[in-house]
Amino acid sequence: MYLYGTISDVVELTPSVRLYEIKLYERISASPGQFLMLWVPRIGEIPLSIANLEDRGLWLIIAKKGRVTTFIHENFDRGTRVFLRGPLGRGFSVKKEFRKCLLVAGGYGLAPLYFLARQLKDCGITCDALLGFKSVREMFFVDEFKGVCTNVYVSTDDGSYGFKGLVTDLLDTSVTLEAYDAVYTSGKELMMLEVVNRCSRRGIRVEASLERLIKCGVGICGLCSLDPLGLRVCKDGPIFTGEVLLKLRDFGRYWRDEHGRKKSIEER
Amino acid sequence: MVNLSVNLEINLAGIRLRNPIVLASGILGVSMSLLKRVEQAGAGAVTTKTITLNPRQGYANPVFVDLEYGFLNAMGLPNPGVDYFVREFFEGCERLNIPLIVSIGGGSAEEFYEICARICKCPMDAVELNLSCPHAKGYGLEVGADPQHVYDIVRRVRKCFSNKPIFVKLSATVPSIVEVAEAALKAGASGFVAINTVRAIAIDIYAKKPILSNVYGGLSGPAIKPIAVRVVYELYENFKNVPIIGVGGVDSWETAVEFLLAGARAVGIGSAVVRRDLEIFNEILEGLKRYLEVEGYDRVSDIVGLAHEVV
Ligand SMILES: Cc1cc2nc3c(=O)[nH]c(=O)nc-3n(C[C@H](O)[C@H](O)[C@H](O)COP(=O)(O)OP(=O)(O)OC[C@H]3O[C@@H](n4cnc5c(N)ncnc54)[C@H](O)[C@@H]3O)c2cc1C
Ligand SMILES: Cc1cc2nc3c(=O)[nH]c(=O)nc-3n(C[C@H](O)[C@H](O)[C@H](O)COP(=O)(O)O)c2cc1C
Repeated sequence: MYLYGTISDVVELTPSVRLYEIKLYERISASPGQFLMLWVPRIGEIPLSIANLEDRGLWLIIAKKGRVTTFIHENFDRGTRVFLRGPLGRGFSVKKEFRKCLLVAGGYGLAPLYFLARQLKDCGITCDALLGFKSVREMFFVDEFKGVCTNVYVSTDDGSYGFKGLVTDLLDTSVTLEAYDAVYTSGKELMMLEVVNRCSRRGIRVEASLERLIKCGVGICGLCSLDPLGLRVCKDGPIFTGEVLLKLRDFGRYWRDEHGRKKSIEER
Repeated sequence: MVNLSVNLEINLAGIRLRNPIVLASGILGVSMSLLKRVEQAGAGAVTTKTITLNPRQGYANPVFVDLEYGFLNAMGLPNPGVDYFVREFFEGCERLNIPLIVSIGGGSAEEFYEICARICKCPMDAVELNLSCPHAKGYGLEVGADPQHVYDIVRRVRKCFSNKPIFVKLSATVPSIVEVAEAALKAGASGFVAINTVRAIAIDIYAKKPILSNVYGGLSGPAIKPIAVRVVYELYENFKNVPIIGVGGVDSWETAVEFLLAGARAVGIGSAVVRRDLEIFNEILEGLKRYLEVEGYDRVSDIVGLAHEVV
């Protein structure tokens, strides 16, 4: 029923974000942007992006947020067995003719984009990355991105490292959007909304990784759906193109709570 | 070549369906936009998620297990409550062009009545009473196993829905399905939906723990198909003229045909969406048309209950 693995290493990336390196019992294939459901017996089950996959080695980056993620931080260690469902959903789409791409990420949104950056590099596509954090204390994976990207620009909200401001400000100060064949973004939804708006205005291909409450994970319960197109984050997404996102009234505005009621995205 | 003259229309307790393939309750039915997609995928009618009087947040994850031969779920009837439901489904601008069946659930006849009072004026085509969900405390099967209780609930609902069809969704695991069905009919039910999921548990042998947070869940998919076919057959045998929507493990045109032959006038699609997604509707419709043509029938209604004929 599950895809099993054992944790081979835990790296503390920041006080609240950890990298879990996992050895899977079997080989799987997945594309960047796809996610897994991690089951913690009798505690819960949460969706997580694949941060890297090489042979049987899987990386998951987990930010401490609430009940389940706190349990993981406090109890998961080298040797812990993990239970996974997936890979689920649809990943980023990359065209063979792409030459140069831009990645825009914030917080644990770096996870799927790191996996993507490695694959782009393997395909001979160069990329630049804009990474945003709250402060230098919350910063992670900058060196990893430097290993696979040509240029990496960092912003922090408080200016404790790199550019002081939002990661979207870097779009004006550090790069020229027109130089890229595609832009991929993952992070806070309002940040992604800004990226999608800017790219669309200039006719640049853009894709974003969305989050909603994931329950069944296989596209039948409907809780993670987006109006008015009825697209499911777990099955039709989590990656959507800018073209589709701009038709979604929910994008940047609403998500559904456990009851299925629409809530403002700011209440998340 | 598909014979265009094959007629897939059916009449289900007075509602006309363009074809007999219906979306089952709890599958995608949480928003009008998802139901719209199901309509575009080809469904003959759609059913909403079960709606209760008050909002329910459902159970914590995990709520779903893929068992290969079937699926186990314990969503816990999450829904925003009837008032929110009415606002979202009927006060927006989206409308369906196919019949809409609203599934409702309650813990007592009074609760069912109160929900009905709030939805009976809405543009919907039929109501379905969930008297069979096997894992929600105080709901579903816990009220639907007792024929007297079922009678009381259906009678109360009939007071609100004087001229709309009332479908009762049944469980296979009651001491006597015929007694429950009889009680429902006596109280004014128009038809049956059979079956709901079957109460079950899955344990992971390495975690050595039950998987679902609720421990108990409902089994669906291929694993329950022969049980569902039996229930449909048994209902048809006893109540020949009462329309039945057969549900449970339908994942191909062949299984859909089996239900029709057993006596189902329409066939519900549930967890097959996991593997086939929305294409399942068209796949079944195409296969069904071809089958009818090859076997020499003009109308899908001609094969309903055919397995019961002596010669
Ligand atoms: C496709 C996808 C990929 C994700 N990838 C990552 C990742 O790589 N790294 C990472 O750290 N986090 C990721 N998340 C977010 C992660 O799933 C949540 O942080 C986690 O579920 C919180 O669980 P909790 O019990 O600790 O928090 P809780 O106390 O349960 O809730 C805190 C908040 O977490 C979010 N959340 C809770 N449950 C869910 C759920 N079932 N589905 C979605 N969001 C939920 C909600 O915003 C909630 O308000 C991803 C989410 C999605 C949808
Ligand atoms: C995820 C899920 C949620 C369901 N929710 C409901 C529900 O709210 N109300 C209901 O009457 N049945 C519900 N069911 C039962 C289905 O409508 C159907 O009766 C059952 O799954 C058997 O059909 P299947 O084998 O085609 O899935 C649910 C089933 C699943 C898999």
